[in-house]
Amino acid sequence: MLKVEGIETWYGAIQALKGVSLEVKQGEIVALLGANGAGKSTTIKTITGMLKPAKGKIEFLGEDITGMEAEDIAEAGIACVPEGRRVFAGLSVMDNLMLGATSRKKPSKAELDRDLERVFHLFPMLKEAEDRLGWQLSGGQQQMLAIGRGLMSGAKLLLMDEPSLGLAPVLVQEVFKVIKEINTAGTTILLVEQNARMALLIANRGYVLETGRLTLTDTAADLLANEDMKAHYLGAHAHVKEARERRRRL
Amino acid sequence: MDVSTNLQLMTAGLAMGSIYALVALGFVLIFNAVGVVNFAQGEFVMVPAFVAVWLMDILKIPFPLTYLITVVFMGVFGIVFQRIAYYPLRHRTFLPVIIATIGVSIFLKNGAQMVFGAEPFLMHRPTPPDVLNLAGVFVDPQYIVIIVCTLALLVFQYLFFEKTSLGKKMQATAQDKEMARLLGIRVATMIAITFVYSSILGAAAGILVGPIFYVTKEMGGMLGLKAFCSAIVGGFGSVPGAILGGIFLGVVEVFAAYYISSAYRDAFAFIMLILVLLFRPQGFFGEKIAEKA
Amino acid sequence: MNPRAAKPLLLAALALAVLVFPWVVNSSYWLNMVNLAIGFSVACLGLNIVLGYTGQLSLAQAAFWGVGAYTSAILTTRLGMPAWGGMIAAFVVAGFFGVLLGIPTLKLTGHYLAMTTIGFGIILQLILINAIWLTKGSDGIPKIPSPWLGSYELKDPGAFFYVAAVSLILFTWASIRLKDSRVGRAFLAIQGNEMAAETMGVDSTYYKVMAFALSAGYAGFGGWLFAHSGSHYISPDTFSFDQSVMFLAMMVLGGNGSAVGSIVGATLLTLVPEVLRFLKDSYMMVYAAGIVLVMIFMPGGIAGLVRTLPVSPRLREWWHMGSEAARQVEIAAAIAQPAAAPVSPGSNGTLLTVKRLAKYFGGLKAVDGVDMEVRRGEIQALIGPNGSGKTTILNMLSGLYIPTAGEIVLDGANVTGQRPHVITAHGVARTFQNIRLFGDLTVLDNVMIGQHGRSRAGLIPSILQPASQRTEEAAMREKALDMLEFVGLRGAEFAEAKSLPYGRQRVLELARALVSDPKLLLLDEPAAGLNAAETEALLDLLFQIQDQGITILLVEHDMSLVMNVSDHITVLNFGKKIAEGSAEAIEKNQEVIDAYLGTEAGNA
Repeated sequence: MLKVEGIETWYGAIQALKGVSLEVKQGEIVALLGANGAGKSTTIKTITGMLKPAKGKIEFLGEDITGMEAEDIAEAGIACVPEGRRVFAGLSVMDNLMLGATSRKKPSKAELDRDLERVFHLFPMLKEAEDRLGWQLSGGQQQMLAIGRGLMSGAKLLLMDEPSLGLAPVLVQEVFKVIKEINTAGTTILLVEQNARMALLIANRGYVLETGRLTLTDTAADLLANEDMKAHYLGAHAHVKEARERRRRL
Repeated sequence: MDVSTNLQLMTAGLAMGSIYALVALGFVLIFNAVGVVNFAQGEFVMVPAFVAVWLMDILKIPFPLTYLITVVFMGVFGIVFQRIAYYPLRHRTFLPVIIATIGVSIFLKNGAQMVFGAEPFLMHRPTPPDVLNLAGVFVDPQYIVIIVCTLALLVFQYLFFEKTSLGKKMQATAQDKEMARLLGIRVATMIAITFVYSSILGAAAGILVGPIFYVTKEMGGMLGLKAFCSAIVGGFGSVPGAILGGIFLGVVEVFAAYYISSAYRDAFAFIMLILVLLFRPQGFFGEKIAEKA
Repeated sequence: MNPRAAKPLLLAALALAVLVFPWVVNSSYWLNMVNLAIGFSVACLGLNIVLGYTGQLSLAQAAFWGVGAYTSAILTTRLGMPAWGGMIAAFVVAGFFGVLLGIPTLKLTGHYLAMTTIGFGIILQLILINAIWLTKGSDGIPKIPSPWLGSYELKDPGAFFYVAAVSLILFTWASIRLKDSRVGRAFLAIQGNEMAAETMGVDSTYYKVMAFALSAGYAGFGGWLFAHSGSHYISPDTFSFDQSVMFLAMMVLGGNGSAVGSIVGATLLTLVPEVLRFLKDSYMMVYAAGIVLVMIFMPGGIAGLVRTLPVSPRLREWWHMGSEAARQVEIAAAIAQPAAAPVSPGSNGTLLTVKRLAKYFGGLKAVDGVDMEVRRGEIQALIGPNGSGKTTILNMLSGLYIPTAGEIVLDGANVTGQRPHVITAHGVARTFQNIRLFGDLTVLDNVMIGQHGRSRAGLIPSILQPASQRTEEAAMREKALDMLEFVGLRGAEFAEAKSLPYGRQRVLELARALVSDPKLLLLDEPAAGLNAAETEALLDLLFQIQDQGITILLVEHDMSLVMNVSDHITVLNFGKKIAEGSAEAIEKNQEVIDAYLGTEAGNA
């Protein structure tokens, strides 16, 4: 569905992406992992058109979308749930959701109602909060709203940038459950995450980005078992427990 | 303290306040959309005033057509302004933008002088010059026109922003431009519409206030500054704040000039500003912008 | 050539240029123009202090210029005071008005501040116009006397030029000295990040008022120069908002933050319109268009442009070689630093006690009656879901929020509701969730500012730089270099803080907090954005800090860090404490698990 080839993106004088290639097939959840500053968000911004790559090609459903404007890419069928949620603080939940449908080509009222129902079914708490304004919602509710807004676009490919950021562990699990449900219902997902473990638990495949380059790609299961991954990204538990034991003994 | 004097003052105050409200609105809409504090906003009133006077006096075009042409002219002006003044500055920081918009203001002022000369003009009134006597209160009919027209404009605006899908898209653009783009909202168009609408607000103010004051190149300067005060007093960034702030300042100014001192008339708006910022810095309707540590 | 040898040569050349200038430029007209430009330059230098250094946008500079001019004019024409007396009065009275403006505007920034200063300026101008008994109103004050040097009246523009030029040189020298001193750093820190500056011990109220007063004084002096030269006549129209805008344009054209730039900008914008006069009617339009174009294409002004020239970095490095800072860094680099030995925290017992602490934001109860204790020498973690009140508590502990109720006792002293710089003086330092470094300052300067509360040089010593001040600076630098060694940032001393990679920025923030020798270190999500390897390095660093006897209270979401570093954990939910204890106890606490940890143990 999405093919990214050899993308090089620059932030002023800094080269953030040094030739990134990846693929997302229909129906998959693909995880894009890496540390802070590795280039994950830059990749998403390049795909959505917020940044233009200096080199490389992006193909979506057979169409070359490299260098297209963000608004056109949205209309082509790529939706984004950005980092930090970014709900419209001064608009109501309903307004936010309806704005999500902006990129659709002349949807009928019936279609919109049906998709709205779907969103409310996934996030019942949003239905209760229908008239509340964006700024009045909690972090978790805003995340749900952002995802719902992304779904309202009817997009075939949903890009999710750090959906778990800043959420308490118990909410993080909720969010990942929902992502899995959305995927099962038919939306293809490219998921950017710092929380590598949770992401790989629901993904089919994963890519690992390190300072602008892809260093690893494999199926999710294999990545979870990978020793390097374990050491760097899946939490250095054993490591750290040792450090504490050492201290205790002093 | 005589009631009819106070009512007269109140009408005058509401009229001036309406003008301030219109200009303050223009300010705030541009600020919300693109984050620019437009120090040339006063000139958005001066330019259409000159155009209207020129159409009426020199070309002898009747009122309704003059007003229409002026509004359309300002619409185009808004687009040109956006392209030439805002667009090249869109990535610049706060300080260069302020200076640049001030530069544009100076440019427009002197441009007007070059085109129309330095003599002050008197705009023909659409209303009769005789003061109306409403139950003992003497009121300039132009004031009534100003208040009514402003009200109509505000109602239209409310309906537009709150009830139409385009209005919601514009609100979304003002609140988070990048996110709006990601949703497919044509942000460049939204911004252009904002500038056009802000300029039209200026046209309305210029047409409405022209008959009361002399039309000179300086008429926009103090007006713009006081409108800025209005926006802050009402809560900068808040649309209802800009309106109420403007009306509030207009009324205070008129009463204070009459009862306290007319020599310091211009000072009162700023004194109010300083007082409000001291005691309620977020203005009447502003959100406390608490910094998250 | 060694820059240290070059400096006196340059000074001699400058003195020579000043001496011969009035002979070279013979025309009265142009000398008057130059004197005017110098007066404007002084005003712009003042604006550079309040805006360029401290970041406060003041659009009232023309009003202060006017206050200075009128003060001296009234004193010299009405009371017969000699012009030199008027000069001092101009500086002082204008400075006083600067204080008047500084105080009510303390909490304002950006366009709020700008508007208020505009309003202040307009009100002052209206007073100048209407207080006819004092100022003769719009008629103005004519025949302002020239200053006398012995029996020689400095009436000729060439003679006055010497006064103007010497003053300009002195004011410029003072401005440049100021920038690289404790007070200057305080100004820059306030511009960089006021909240962080406050928690470093910088009393931002005091320094902002000082900046306003200084800049107003400069402007007043400029007004004095204006009044006692040229046409020897002043009237209120000159001191308008438009003139303040002019000063701003001059300063930004020259380059915001550059003293020399201000002079260049002022001179250009004074002399260029004279050259453009042939354009007659359209000259103002050309001028205005020019300003807009400069803002579009050269927002850094002339100083910014010069900085991008290829020869600039080399020149700057060469000049920099002669500085004290560079010398010290070289010396320190040559000496190997011994590892710091562990220090016991002193007597055991409680360092921090928090009782019934509460913070309500309107109807929102962010913190609702929390009791906490932090023992001396321990590492305690404060955890809980988003919105549970953790950062609010940290903010109250560091003085950024005033508690609605409750009390905070640090090492026996009640610090509830005290301002941040006062709490810092009691021995508290902190880092922030979103890094709050002074991005435009060097790594070394960032750490130097951390010692603001432990150093003393005031305004005059910062400008004059006597031996005592230089000793203090050297000692501060020494300590800063030691700290950079400790956290592993050696070699990056002169890099711009914002150019460091994320992980090292976090470490720099830590160094800056540590350098003030705090008893209690407050860390707000120190592991945010760090990968597992960096988190482990942080862990080691935290243990080393603990070994130095410093008590740590951290707010954190990263459970792997929290569980492994903490001696004690306090858990919050909805503004209340729901549990506390050791890591093992908390891991098993059911209420904590439900509220926060979730059933997936071990979130990375």
